[in-house]
Amino acid sequence: MNIDYTPNDIYIPSPSDFDPDNLGHFGIYGGRYVPETLMPVLEALKSDYEKIRFDKEFWEEVHYYYKNYVGRPSSLYYAKNISDEIGAKVYLKREDLNHTGAHKINHTIAQALLAKKLGKKKIIAETGAGQHGVATATVAALFGLECEVFMGAKDVKRQELNVFRMKLLGSKVHAVESGSKTLKDAMNDAIRHWVTHARDTFYVIGTVAGPHPYPMMVRDIQSVIGWEAKAQMMQTHGKLPDKVIACIGGGSNAMGIFNHFLNEKDVECIGIEAGGLGLDSKHGCSLAKGSPGVLHGQLSYLLQDEDGQIEEAHSISAGLDYPGIGPEHAFLKDKGVVTYDHITDDEAMEAFVWLSQKEGIIPAFESSHAIAYLKKLKNVEGQTILINLSGRGDKDMIQAKDILKERFE
Amino acid sequence: MKKLVAYITTGYPSLAFTLDLALALHEAGVDTLELGIPFSDPVADGAIIEKANLLSLQKGFKMDHLFEVSKGIAPQIDTLWMGYFNPFYHKGMDRFIAQAKSAGVNGFIIPDLPYEEAQKYKPMITQAGLTLIDFIAPTDPKERIEMIARDAQKFIYLVAYAGITGAGQSEDLQDTVAMIRDYTNTDVFVGFGVNEKTAKEKSKGVDGVIVGSAFVTILLDESISDMQKIDKVSKLAREIKSKINE
Repeated sequence: MNIDYTPNDIYIPSPSDFDPDNLGHFGIYGGRYVPETLMPVLEALKSDYEKIRFDKEFWEEVHYYYKNYVGRPSSLYYAKNISDEIGAKVYLKREDLNHTGAHKINHTIAQALLAKKLGKKKIIAETGAGQHGVATATVAALFGLECEVFMGAKDVKRQELNVFRMKLLGSKVHAVESGSKTLKDAMNDAIRHWVTHARDTFYVIGTVAGPHPYPMMVRDIQSVIGWEAKAQMMQTHGKLPDKVIACIGGGSNAMGIFNHFLNEKDVECIGIEAGGLGLDSKHGCSLAKGSPGVLHGQLSYLLQDEDGQIEEAHSISAGLDYPGIGPEHAFLKDKGVVTYDHITDDEAMEAFVWLSQKEGIIPAFESSHAIAYLKKLKNVEGQTILINLSGRGDKDMIQAKDILKERFE
Repeated sequence: MKKLVAYITTGYPSLAFTLDLALALHEAGVDTLELGIPFSDPVADGAIIEKANLLSLQKGFKMDHLFEVSKGIAPQIDTLWMGYFNPFYHKGMDRFIAQAKSAGVNGFIIPDLPYEEAQKYKPMITQAGLTLIDFIAPTDPKERIEMIARDAQKFIYLVAYAGITGAGQSEDLQDTVAMIRDYTNTDVFVGFGVNEKTAKEKSKGVDGVIVGSAFVTILLDESISDMQKIDKVSKLAREIKSKINE
């Protein structure tokens, strides 16, 4: 196949076969399930986003920051040592090398530029692992915006370095004490703050979830990952991969790398949910074990009980510790377009050590789930596998030290 | 006579209490009862109602309890179920309609089911003789107010300010109310932040008020007995009803 662009060109989103309808529905999923106060705000955002979605001038500005500030295009690295071990050719899309350490900076740059264009001076964000919070605090500093970040109290504790980073960057961090004190509750409080400050505050949602147009908008923005990777695969490998693998919490890095491969018949996209302590115990597998439901402004798969009360998710990685998932993933699962599977906490920790020692790359706990799947896959001999290494492990050092101390001390 | 709608959270501190309180509120002159369905993630609510929701769930609230307790309440007082959309979606709107019909409940208030998403469910709710209450917010522009107000039945839930329940904010609603009146004769009730201090002011130019957090605050008071809670809530309801009709 021919690719008529290079990874250094200016990325502009393109329409997808899986675009939602005018009200944001991906099949039955998605939509806008929010208090009335927010509906006019979402209507305005929808039409504002439509204006810039394919606007060259806007994406040129985004490109400027991607190239000079983030360090895009992120490199595609042939991981020879693990490739030799498993007998497949493994390529890593190095989103971990981005400024701030993960793919989250891609959508915070673009969303903050949009917020600025709309004349909003305040931005808010929810965060789980703290990566999205740090990425939002970073662009707030860069563009001179006031920023408040909502983070579950449990995550504030297990990601204390990121909390400090956000504060250092000039943002205010709210530790959310309600419910499970994780990402779900952080998002509840971010929505409450947003309803209250709807007129002057832009909500920088951290994943492909929430009310329309967020799932489509964040997917469009993050699709720079797969758009680059496709061209890079052709340049360095001469053909497309057989499989593309990414971890899924809300699903932004996965949609980002999958989107430009969804129409390629010979490429299988595989999303990896957080298996936590196992599917019969506590986990974050909303697709595998959940059912359709409404939370945080969207209809999608959810972990819930027989009354529709939301159940708590569990994952060793704060970024995957969420009982829902972006609506486009729900749609792609039902359609059979993407394959979904899971990796447990233990398997992820093994992969965390494996990649560190084999390739000298310490992955984020989230990304370790995608790496771990290489060992779970059967019959990969001779295949080419592209993995989205969505973030680096620096933020996880304190937690990793605690879990692995007996092994390395 | 301006109307008073009272919200209470079902199942806190107990189901028996909910039943007693509902009947007492009827005695106190409350016109419509919003029987709140506890939900794990009530994003339109402030800290007070959120806490009551979570405590009721901790005490073991199940949907079947709502269906059961409503049978004792709805024949006595005009009753609406107020709850977030997920339980309706998960258990099935048809099931909620059937249960409402059998208990005598007259309709639903679902704060996270805005006009567009409600279209799928409105016909079946209306056909069953029930009402789905529409919300209008002070952020809504004219075109949106027209779209929502045209179809509205029973009453329009006018959100008093951009925010969550139980906050001490206020906004000038005159223009919004005037626009609503251009399109419908349906009653307009103001909710969010209404208590004994604000009721008179908030009821100006509208047909009634909706009070929630002010009552639930009393429900959450650990220092008084259940009996005292019912007395206190009833007294507050009487006070508010008389203030809005001064």
